[in-house]
Amino acid sequence: VAVATVASVLLRDTLAPTNLAMIYLGGVVAVAMRCSRWMSVTSSFLSVAAFDFFCVPPYLTFAVSDYQYVFTFAGMLVVALVISTQTARLKEHAAHAAVREARTEALYRLSSKLAGETRVFEAARAAATLAEDVFGARVVIFLPEDGKLSFRRRTSDLLPVPPSEESIAQWVFDHGHKAGLRTDAHSDAAALYIPLRGARETFGVLAVLPDVVSNAENRIFAPEQQQLLEVFASQTAVAIERTLSQRAEEETRVHMQTEQMRSSLLSAMSHDLRTPLASITGAASTLRSQNDRLPLETKQELLESISDEAERLSRLVGNLLDMTRLESGGVELRRDLYPLEEIVGTVLQRMEPQLEGRAVTTELAENLPMVFVDDVLLGQVLWNLLENAAKYTPPGAPLELAAFESGGAILIEVRDRGPGIAPGEEERIFEKFYRGKSDNVRGAGLGLPICRAIVQAHRGTIQALARDGGGTTFRISLPTQST
Amino acid sequence: MKPLILLIEDDAQIRRFLRAALDAEGYRLQESITAEEGLAQAASRQPDLILLDLGLPDRDGLEVIQKVREWGKIPILVLSARGQEKDKIAALDLGADDYVAKPFAVGELLARIRAALRRSITRVDGAGSLVHFGPVEVDLDKRVVRVDAKEVHLTPNEYKLLQVLIQHAGKVITQRQLLNEVWGPQHTEQAQYLRVYIAQLRRKLERNPARPKYLQTEPGVGYRLVPEES
Repeated sequence: VAVATVASVLLRDTLAPTNLAMIYLGGVVAVAMRCSRWMSVTSSFLSVAAFDFFCVPPYLTFAVSDYQYVFTFAGMLVVALVISTQTARLKEHAAHAAVREARTEALYRLSSKLAGETRVFEAARAAATLAEDVFGARVVIFLPEDGKLSFRRRTSDLLPVPPSEESIAQWVFDHGHKAGLRTDAHSDAAALYIPLRGARETFGVLAVLPDVVSNAENRIFAPEQQQLLEVFASQTAVAIERTLSQRAEEETRVHMQTEQMRSSLLSAMSHDLRTPLASITGAASTLRSQNDRLPLETKQELLESISDEAERLSRLVGNLLDMTRLESGGVELRRDLYPLEEIVGTVLQRMEPQLEGRAVTTELAENLPMVFVDDVLLGQVLWNLLENAAKYTPPGAPLELAAFESGGAILIEVRDRGPGIAPGEEERIFEKFYRGKSDNVRGAGLGLPICRAIVQAHRGTIQALARDGGGTTFRISLPTQST
Repeated sequence: MKPLILLIEDDAQIRRFLRAALDAEGYRLQESITAEEGLAQAASRQPDLILLDLGLPDRDGLEVIQKVREWGKIPILVLSARGQEKDKIAALDLGADDYVAKPFAVGELLARIRAALRRSITRVDGAGSLVHFGPVEVDLDKRVVRVDAKEVHLTPNEYKLLQVLIQHAGKVITQRQLLNEVWGPQHTEQAQYLRVYIAQLRRKLERNPARPKYLQTEPGVGYRLVPEES
């Protein structure tokens, strides 16, 4: 108003008074844009008064010489009031929009932060950290322990609220209503406690401590901030709820898989255990009841069948026990440095009966370093691989066993010239109870899974590779020991 | 007289087939079901060999070995479950002569029994100075080793190792026992030495060191020199 007055006084000789009124209106617009609504209304009145006082003859009095000016004053006042009111309203809108935007942004950040979180505690911690940022206050989330809220399960390392307020938090948790600072209940508390209420239950309590040093105390208790705080709490609760239901789903899935495993184990068991048992029982009972009438040759055959089938049963039970022990972590590796030659030699020597005079070529590279392994278990891997190779290839077909060093690993290969593994099954054959599609050899599908479990326990890998010219290579790769 | 075997085993079915098999081989058999009874019979009947099951109802089979070794050198053959290398080693280190893992074929058991009985007899007779297995001939008096009638040079430690294996031919020897006898009691933890020496011996004596016929490894337990079955 003062600026407008000075400008008007300087220009009052050159410009008509009505034009000077425009300068005042400009001032009102400036005030309305910068200051509050009351200020701009006040300046509207002041402008009219000043205009009268300084710019309308006779100068420096409120008296008016020409009554036409009364209309000018009235018009000017109306225009000034309208401008100031509208400008103020516009400003309020802008402010609201900014608040809404901040709120939307805060909630968006919350939901995107919690979306990928699969653990309840981690979700709560992320929410608390974000809340501190958004509200400029200290925020802790307390979670229940055995159905009861506990100050021990909290998202910050330090406990920022007095331990005595655990009962307030518990009340909030039980009733699902906020309490504490600036509320109806326990308004003398150090913090404001807001429940994290989901659709079905309350998952925890969010405690807000206004930062007394800064101005934030007032801001956080502003109605829109309070509202935002509550939305924030309920969003966090929803996220936790989702996390929990995801976990329940996962558990169900694992449980179903275990069930499926168990039933495939049972069916494999009932078949593979019963078949040899049936042969043994049949042969033995034949021998017992018809002993006198059987030719010597038949008796010999039946006896051989009993012995073979018993052997098969024994291997199967052995494999099952091994698999169970390997899986339950009951196998302790007894690793030491061994010349590979010794392990290979032992296996080949012991396998002589199964190999039935089949040629097994061994190519062990010269100067192969000693391997740091459990000799019994690695021997079993080689045994299983050779036994498989013998089972799946025509009798008499030669087998190869080779070992060499390559790229920081010792590679041991068992190669055959059998029918090979069907494309796409190279991985699946290492799964428990998996039988190849064209598989007409009897077995429980445990040999290769055991190999894999043992090799992995040694931090190595095992894979099946197709050979050029037909057949399969099983390759074990063991990292060479730096010691 | 035929050798007397004392069988200490609680399972009736296993006793049953062992009775049939041992009887058919012409051995005399004394059976007991508990460790207590077995120990009493071992003392009173003085058997030529004890077949001992490690899982007995009243006492640990290892205790039986310990008690028997307090007063005598009767060969003890342990019947153990598969995969329990620790038990096997414990039994052998306590003085058992050998083991057979269940389930076993009777042929294998009979071979072990024969080897154990033979040892206990030759121990009395004094071993001959010439030992043969496969293409290998060892003259224990002159300390000369020949393969296919050609002399092979062994280092002193290699020779000592071979000598110990020959002394216990047919029987499993634990790594600890071998290390103790060849290198001395302060080296019983250094099994790597032993493996290197065994590998060298195989290279010098075996036709195919990667498939040894005579110097066999008992995985997780020790070694065994297997002379050809005569």
